[in-house]
Amino acid sequence: MSKCLLCHQPLRPPMTLAQFWCWQPLPVPVVCQRCIQQFDRISATHCPQCGRQQTKMTVCHDCDRWGDQRLQNHAVYTYNEAMKAYMQQYKFQGDYALRQVMMAPLQQALMRETYDVLVPIPVNQETWQARGFNQVTGWLRNQPFQQVLLVTADHKEQPQSAKTRQQRLLTQQPFSLAPNAARVLAGKQILLLDDVYTTGRTLRHAATQIYLGGAKAVTSLTLAR
Amino acid sequence: MCDEQDLFGRQLPLTNGPANSRVRPAIVTIGRRRRCQRCQQWLLPTDCLPNQAWYCRQCLQLGRLTSHHKLYTIPEPNRFAPVAAPILTWLGKLSPMQGTAATGILDLVRQQRHQLLWAVTGAGKTEIVYPALAWALAQHWRVAWVSPRVDVCLELAPRLQQAFCHVPQALLHGKQTRPYHYRQLTLCTTHQLLRFQSAFDWIIVDEVDAFPLATSPLLQTAIATAQKPTGSHLYLTATPGEQLQRQVRQKKLAVTYLPLRYHGVLLPQIEVRLIWRWRERLTKGRLAPRLIRQLQDYRQRGQRFLLFVPHVLDLKPVAQALQRAGVTGGITVHAADGERAAKVQAMRDRTIPFLITTTILERGVTFPDIAVVVLGGDDAVFSTAALVQIAGRVGRHQDFPTGEVTVYCHSQSRRVRLAQRMIAQLNRQGKRLGGRRQ
Repeated sequence: MSKCLLCHQPLRPPMTLAQFWCWQPLPVPVVCQRCIQQFDRISATHCPQCGRQQTKMTVCHDCDRWGDQRLQNHAVYTYNEAMKAYMQQYKFQGDYALRQVMMAPLQQALMRETYDVLVPIPVNQETWQARGFNQVTGWLRNQPFQQVLLVTADHKEQPQSAKTRQQRLLTQQPFSLAPNAARVLAGKQILLLDDVYTTGRTLRHAATQIYLGGAKAVTSLTLAR
Repeated sequence: MCDEQDLFGRQLPLTNGPANSRVRPAIVTIGRRRRCQRCQQWLLPTDCLPNQAWYCRQCLQLGRLTSHHKLYTIPEPNRFAPVAAPILTWLGKLSPMQGTAATGILDLVRQQRHQLLWAVTGAGKTEIVYPALAWALAQHWRVAWVSPRVDVCLELAPRLQQAFCHVPQALLHGKQTRPYHYRQLTLCTTHQLLRFQSAFDWIIVDEVDAFPLATSPLLQTAIATAQKPTGSHLYLTATPGEQLQRQVRQKKLAVTYLPLRYHGVLLPQIEVRLIWRWRERLTKGRLAPRLIRQLQDYRQRGQRFLLFVPHVLDLKPVAQALQRAGVTGGITVHAADGERAAKVQAMRDRTIPFLITTTILERGVTFPDIAVVVLGGDDAVFSTAALVQIAGRVGRHQDFPTGEVTVYCHSQSRRVRLAQRMIAQLNRQGKRLGGRRQ
């Protein structure tokens, strides 16, 4: 019997009559209902810029502080304890199998977005060597994407997640465009994909580069906010 | 860089180790399958990373091992400073029965046999091992005292430190912040044993039937790997499972029994009462009248009790149903409860009359003068061992050596009957040694 990837309890998915009469192989879940409910989905009322969960549809305080540097971001889940624990195990402990947990929710979210080209945020060479995977592309099932961004700043003295807000905002532009970027981006609507939106610094740096590459519009999607 | 001593009998993923260390790849391919060399478990065909490395999901909690890693080890040299004269600085005295068991264990350790100490709940297992442990330490043996539960380790650490105050000790567990040191006596959780290879001459496994060791092949191999080929182990438990009992019958495991508590009174037997479809009743907010009557009676007599329920989700409805029926004053405790320690302490201090809890309180807690009630004893979470342990909460104190254990179930179950049978068997043996009913 298969087990839940997060809590290791045996999975007993309920079978509906509709599934029974379909005569198809049963869909196999990878996590149990209880674990997936720990993640808190962001509802329709959220900040129109960063996608933060709130009670009204006005621009939130953090986005206000960004001023003119607009970015349109959507997020799937709030960054709560369960998401923090998930990120810890997936990204920092490097449990690549946990990518399956977020595949289906992210696929649904991607279907709701309108875009021409999907651009995931890359990881730098050192991280790639140590971690062995890019946490963002790991979630993609077989959606086509273009790796047009390159990480140039290889001198990460400390990881982004260990900095304060002030330190994060001072981060220099870490991205550059790949040689084929102009051909891919020209006149297209681009969707950036990242794991967590915290201050919005990374995504804005990426968006700047994408605009330089000649894109028509840039929006972004993150798993958590 | 890593100190040479830190590698004695260990297996650690390093970038480069001392010159005299042995190196082997962390993940080896055997035929078409791959195996982790730290935890000896097989990898799944899906455990491959996009950079073509393989990684082990089983022992991920101890830091990820990939096929790029190498494990460094230095064979255990037993290089310890001799221990000052009285090794055992424990001042207590063993009862005659405990003394017999202690001598039995010491004899078997001398023969380096694998053994089991099957002593009833509340027999004083830890103290019985002291003489044998003192002997082993005098032989320059490296010894590990391990338990699957971190609370057991934390509770044991000061006791062992007091009993062997000249022996340097190391305490290892997942949340330990102090760095590792090479010590003759290591106290750790079973997970930590995965970092050792052929290190220990003797391993003492406390609560061997407790979760997660009983069901985890990972941890069972960890014990075998951490022990030297010439080494041996001692299992301590009150409720050995089927597997251990079979090993005893096959003479693979020598056994020392202690079927009687130190105060000489037999174990309380489980009384089963059937309440039909209690779970359906509970969804309507009601509990069986028999149960309510019994609990009300306890409250009137001032008898304190523990009420065990199968799942965390049952705690709230049961508490509400009791409230409605007029059995008030109790609080609920479960594993993820932040105030768990405080609530248990409140129960010890007699400030609250009863606790509603799950199987987390099945072992390691002692309350004098307590009664135990189990609701839904036929649920799968109450294994035979768990039921015997729960029944063992009763009558542990010298002044209150008896008490009532009542199990309410929807239907008769094999697990409950086996638990009754195990208690009856222990009591038969206890009677032969002069055990009393009262």
